[in-house]
Amino acid sequence: MGRGLRPLAAGALVAAGTFALATARVFAPPTTAAAGPGDPYRGELVFERACASCHGRSGEGGVGPRLAGSGLTAAQVTLRVRQGGGVMPAGLVSGQEEADVVAYVVSLAAP
Amino acid sequence: MAPASVADVYTDLATAVFSSTIAAKAWLATGAFALVFVQLATAARIYGRLRFLPRRGRAVARLHRWSGRAAFALTLPVFFHCVTILGFQTPDARVAVHSLAGTFAYGVFAAKVLVVRDRALPGWALPAAGIALASTLGLLWLTSALWYFTRVRFGL
Repeated sequence: MGRGLRPLAAGALVAAGTFALATARVFAPPTTAAAGPGDPYRGELVFERACASCHGRSGEGGVGPRLAGSGLTAAQVTLRVRQGGGVMPAGLVSGQEEADVVAYVVSLAAP
Repeated sequence: MAPASVADVYTDLATAVFSSTIAAKAWLATGAFALVFVQLATAARIYGRLRFLPRRGRAVARLHRWSGRAAFALTLPVFFHCVTILGFQTPDARVAVHSLAGTFAYGVFAAKVLVVRDRALPGWALPAAGIALASTLGLLWLTSALWYFTRVRFGL
């Protein structure tokens, strides 16, 4: 291999490794289940910190859509938290915080 | 340690300082991006293109090395969260561009480090590698932190 190609080859190798890691998402929480039972009371604190600026303190809506009374299920909320959507970034919270905030949003969303 | 608990530990650490993991990433990336300008300015001075810093001074070279190390260190938590938790995603153009640039970021960094150490390469190789790395980091910042600050919220 030509000497000048070594940095390019090394860079390509590192990029390939990064892509493999990103595809594997080795530390991503499981997609089928939350990290643990969600606690809506702790979730309210997470919601105030991470969600209320867009969805309103009581989920009444704002920049983000209305959540209160929307009938969203835990699976729908979890998916949106993980994948984001519109102006909402993916992964705003994760792990136990995600489980807690999902439990809280589901309680808000009950019609 | 189970993957979910690794994510939990990371979340706890990030939210000890910042309001959310995404805010932590945005600010750490902003710190790294600010250091990119230090890198560009000191590199330009080392090459004699800027004159407001001491020419060929060891201080300039030291500042260049340490700002690069600090920028790299700031990107590590961002890399961890983006690559091992969020992963490669393509739900829209912004995220797709960000994922693609992020995939190549450490590859460009590795190439640049090797170019620095190889004195047999032509003179244009190092500036080209440095500009490629700065451009990649700039693109990553534009498609993440700037977007977050302007479209979601500006704050810790």
